[in-house]
Amino acid sequence: MIKQSVIENVLEAALSTGGDFSEIFIEDKFVNELALQSGKIEQSISGRDFGIGIRIFSGLQSIYTYTNDFSEEGLLAAAKRAALAINGGATGTIQPLKKDIITPIHNIIILPNSVEHARKATIMRQANDIARNYDERINQVKVRYLDEEQHVLIANSEGKFVEDTRIHSRLAIQATASEGKEMQTGFYGPGAHAGFEFIENLDLEHYAGEAARIAVTMLHADECPSGKFPVIIDNEFGGVIFHEACGHGLEATAVAKNNSVFANRIGEKVAPDIVTYIDDGTLPNEWGSLNIDDEGEKTRKNILIENGILKGYLIDKFNARRMNAEPTGSSRRQSYRFNPTSRMTNTYIAPGSSTPEEIIASTEYGIYAKYMGGGQVNPSTGDYNFAVMEAYIVKDGKIDRPVRGATLIGNGARTLQLVDRVGNNLAHGAGMCGSISGSLPVNVGQPMIRVSEMTVGGTKGE
Amino acid sequence: MNIAEYQEKLLNNAIEAGFKEAEVYYERKNSFQCMLYEGQIDSYETSEDAGLSLRGLYNGKMGYAYTEKLDDDSISFLINSAKTNADVLDEDEGIDIFEGSNEYTSYEFYNEELETIGIPEKIELLRLIEQKIRAYDSRIVTLDYCFLQEYGTERSLANSKDLSLSHKENGLVIFLSTVVKEGEELKTGSYLKMTRDFHSLNADEIAKAAAEEALANLGEKSIPSGKYPIILRSDATASLLSTFMPVLSAENAQKNQSLLKGKVGQKVASDTFTLLNAPFHPEALSGASFDGEGVATKEQTVILDGTLQTLLHNRKTAKKEGCETSGHAHKDSYKDTLSIAPQNLYISPGKRSQEALIASLSEGVLITELSGLHSGTNTISGDFSVAAQGFHIQDGKIASPVKQMTIAGNFFDFLNNIEETSSELYFLPNGYGSSSLLVKELSVTVE
Repeated sequence: MIKQSVIENVLEAALSTGGDFSEIFIEDKFVNELALQSGKIEQSISGRDFGIGIRIFSGLQSIYTYTNDFSEEGLLAAAKRAALAINGGATGTIQPLKKDIITPIHNIIILPNSVEHARKATIMRQANDIARNYDERINQVKVRYLDEEQHVLIANSEGKFVEDTRIHSRLAIQATASEGKEMQTGFYGPGAHAGFEFIENLDLEHYAGEAARIAVTMLHADECPSGKFPVIIDNEFGGVIFHEACGHGLEATAVAKNNSVFANRIGEKVAPDIVTYIDDGTLPNEWGSLNIDDEGEKTRKNILIENGILKGYLIDKFNARRMNAEPTGSSRRQSYRFNPTSRMTNTYIAPGSSTPEEIIASTEYGIYAKYMGGGQVNPSTGDYNFAVMEAYIVKDGKIDRPVRGATLIGNGARTLQLVDRVGNNLAHGAGMCGSISGSLPVNVGQPMIRVSEMTVGGTKGE
Repeated sequence: MNIAEYQEKLLNNAIEAGFKEAEVYYERKNSFQCMLYEGQIDSYETSEDAGLSLRGLYNGKMGYAYTEKLDDDSISFLINSAKTNADVLDEDEGIDIFEGSNEYTSYEFYNEELETIGIPEKIELLRLIEQKIRAYDSRIVTLDYCFLQEYGTERSLANSKDLSLSHKENGLVIFLSTVVKEGEELKTGSYLKMTRDFHSLNADEIAKAAAEEALANLGEKSIPSGKYPIILRSDATASLLSTFMPVLSAENAQKNQSLLKGKVGQKVASDTFTLLNAPFHPEALSGASFDGEGVATKEQTVILDGTLQTLLHNRKTAKKEGCETSGHAHKDSYKDTLSIAPQNLYISPGKRSQEALIASLSEGVLITELSGLHSGTNTISGDFSVAAQGFHIQDGKIASPVKQMTIAGNFFDFLNNIEETSSELYFLPNGYGSSSLLVKELSVTVE
């Protein structure tokens, strides 16, 4: 993308005021996004995101600058401008760049940019038809299609020089059901680090059908009662609870400065024996997977909690300095516009031994959260909240009736201690995670689990 | 690269390539941001970037494409992509490229002085604020965010109908999140200050407000869950309003995605509720004199004393409805197709202060912060159930902070249950603003 000699000059200019590490991140990304509503393809946009991020460390100080001026003069000016933030002294030196060839672990068959829009539109229409035909009360369906082809080049003053291509494909279906004054929605958004083959092989009957079924089911659901109940959270996107309640608190962004309830607790028991929590960026073709992270480290399988014992954190190169630890291949950024930091990839609770049937049958009274919406956490306190998209009351070991408007709140560290069942049906769900280095594709995953007590906020009162 | 020449070349080439009409939207930004941690610069960031999009009418349909690489190759990329994107559409937009409004309000969104003040001076102010917060009270542990950002943005819109508009704005935002601890209780409180006038920033005032915001959260108690009269503080109300803005979009109404469909002229909120669109409000940092299509923006009353006056329109939705556009075509950036959004939308303040509203309640809950708004709200049904922070009100006074809560209700019922609006007015950086509201009741669940 940019000549190696220019890259070397930029890395050197960045160290001209005494910085001890410099890095360049070059991104060239092609994006296509189509939207269908009211049965028609009504939006289609293509774009090219292109820019360069330059990062400098000076001890525990991190300097970042970005530009999309790709001329050598422009890049050198940006590097020097950033270097001005340091008043160190002697010019640092850079190691000779050594090209690292990576072995891609994610097989890409059809590059989305090689596929005509008409083929993408056909699949969107099929999803629309399936959702509309599910029930006559479905009165609106939105289908969004997204593909991205991101080329990155990462080089640093330690001699690293590596390139990678990331392909993402996603189809998101939202169905609205309405009857009288009531309107409810259902959503499903499968995505993968894969090409158009992922979209073509999607089980549309399942995904579009589920989006419609959720909307129709919630249409006549009772209002959710509020109070403290055992809560059963189903597999797949249900994993968002531990993403919020626990995953964010294990990121070095929070841990390095002791702004996490999990800081300085390696080796301590933070969860019951049945809980093992893993972040694995190497899962083939999963939505949150990468060959290398955004500072060029190979992704890996990081065990965070093993049988209830805290084993590790997600660590990027900068926070590794403050923590005196090694990076874990977890440094990510939305684009060249973001200074990278430790983030999750595909995070999940490892499967246990209970069957989903046993878990429900052993619950006298509680809430069954079949599909979760999104959520949020304050990493300093661990207080989280998230919305349940489809919920049911469980009574005498049976699923009783659907309820809507349920929100779960609590504290991550405490909730983790209250997990009392872990199912055997591990599955992953695709989501977008927003934090300081931008919005990123991540998978959340888990088998069905049960928490013995959670606070449920509902519209009905107690 | 001379941007005016590039725009002209792109427009000419697009017309030659078969576009009937075309528009180029360009945006250029520069920013500086810095984060401090315990007196040291933790991160320091500068940027200069730009991007541009082509929007053009091709075979009766509107094609879009954008690029951040401004070179000659991108001209053919933009033209070919925009054609492909026009081809796949099932429907023409029903509108053309806009020839321009008769008159545009001139207003200064840019303060040159802000840019001339050096970065060291701005960092020094942040350092001083951090120091003062840390020294304010022994229960203050640290700041988990101590952040300053300054930005400048230039936008231009030029089209083949000889319309050429430009906009320039800047601003500075300080965001502080303070961590406090007493015994085993750990709490945070966040505070945001934005301005275009650097000299209006007072370190003592900011430090005091940020520290008090966090300290007030210590000593939390549980209260029984149930229905309570609610005072929703101005900043929390503004964020709720911003989340439910899509209900005001005529596009959503036309697509059965808003329950305000067909409600213009009808009562949709209580008598005390007036909602205004104010592109030139001095207290907001956002705003513009033209919208995403180049239509002149104007002051508007969206809801007057509870009665819906208009939905928010762009030229496409207005044409469908047979009315004039209200000038609310919106693009977040060159990466977006046109949508609909207001320019500074705020709930009109009332007469009495928030303190007087609190004093009027024998029991109630003051909500100061809402979180989980992106997931706990349904803009179609109006249902919301979101996490909240706040205080128990007893006998007209704040009694104690309450443990983590959720508040739940329905936005459309909520509008009808507003009993009074306070005299304060607060704007978020995104241009949504509000006074504090006294609401008859909401369902509160306490952890």
